[in-house]
Amino acid sequence: MRLYDPTSSGPERSLSRAPALTGLEGKTIGILENNKLNAMEMLREVAALFETRHNCMVRSIWHKSNASAPAPAGMLAQVVGEVDFLITGLGD
Amino acid sequence: MPLDSQRIHEIPDDLLAAIDYCYEQGWTDGLPVIPPVLERVHAMLAFEGRPPEAVIATHPATTLQLTVHAAAVNAVMAGCLPEYFPVLVAAFEAMDKPEFNFHGSTASTGGSAPLVIVSGPVCDDIGMNADVNLFGPGNRANATIGRAVRLILRNVFQMIPGISDKSTQGNPGKYSFCIAERARGNPWPLLCETQDYPPGVSSVTVFAGGGFCNVENHGGNTPEQILGSVADAMANYGCITLGQSVVVLSPEHMAIVAGAGWSREDAQSFLFTHAKRSVEGMQSVGKYRDSEYDRQHGDKADALVEDGYVHRGLSPQDILITMGGGDAGGHSCFIPSWSRGRGSIMQHKPIGVCIDCV
Repeated sequence: MRLYDPTSSGPERSLSRAPALTGLEGKTIGILENNKLNAMEMLREVAALFETRHNCMVRSIWHKSNASAPAPAGMLAQVVGEVDFLITGLGD
Repeated sequence: MPLDSQRIHEIPDDLLAAIDYCYEQGWTDGLPVIPPVLERVHAMLAFEGRPPEAVIATHPATTLQLTVHAAAVNAVMAGCLPEYFPVLVAAFEAMDKPEFNFHGSTASTGGSAPLVIVSGPVCDDIGMNADVNLFGPGNRANATIGRAVRLILRNVFQMIPGISDKSTQGNPGKYSFCIAERARGNPWPLLCETQDYPPGVSSVTVFAGGGFCNVENHGGNTPEQILGSVADAMANYGCITLGQSVVVLSPEHMAIVAGAGWSREDAQSFLFTHAKRSVEGMQSVGKYRDSEYDRQHGDKADALVEDGYVHRGLSPQDILITMGGGDAGGHSCFIPSWSRGRGSIMQHKPIGVCIDCV
């Protein structure tokens, strides 16, 4: 008996990780908030730890209108240009 | 390199063993599947004009692609007959629209399932059920088209329960959630007609449904009484959001509503007006959010929005109302949107035809 495979795949993609930061001291932070209940509160708490412990500074806050949709490509490009690292996560 | 779904598995010529093999590969929804033998897949493909490698839908995060071929393989496994295939293809074309957000609505803890509503002459052509036991078992087309949607989400898009499908409780519609709109005795225009498709063209509407709420009313004899009970279900604290709604009126309830001269638009306005909760009430259960209230009551607010209240949806047009079910019984239903409110917006597509194709 011969069966077709029901799975699929997408086109080959070339992906790579961003280089790791050499240190955290004095770095600028971006926050990407996803519109979930308590997301902003949680992310600000996390950012505050970096501010206290490593003299980081929150420079920019971005908002998604839909927690479960990818961030717009233009927004991510803006993030890369403005901050050293980004904090994002869930909420509820 | 061939498409993954054109990879062939050579297995012993034993049907029961083949069913077990499908289990072992992780290809099922927990129920046995029809082993996707080549001949059946080819018969399915004969009902689609595009080549097997044509892409119907793409996962926005993983870029996994649903080809015509992969859809056909999963349709066979679900038990679809070839003549059902255009409905399945149209459903995924609709789900592929970004506003539907099939990734989010499938992955979410919210546990929604894509409700597929088929409208128009194709329902009778392929023997779909729009009548007794509408959402229940018993009809091959309804059951297997809905099941094929789930198998594709699982096998093609890898929305695996517990891994990439994190539904807290899920809902039974995640096995199959497909109905036909009842045309017989329906006093209102069919959905496919309101969607402005040419006469004779059927359509499929997809909606990320968060469950199923039966609305029983055997005592009401006016539109206000019947729709008042529907509105109350829509406004329950457990599911009121700014999201969209689907309401399927039973023929008995429809006879009361339309018999009094009410149009679909009248019913939509009534439901939007009455499916609401006070700000204080929303605060009492911890669900009030300024941003949502402002969105509903801002500059573009619908004229029916009432100060001090949170309505379900943003306007009457957010409530899809149609008719379905058996002649007897005062049982309608309300299906809430996925819990993320407006995280998914319902979409529709024509079946088996190409309109305004690029």
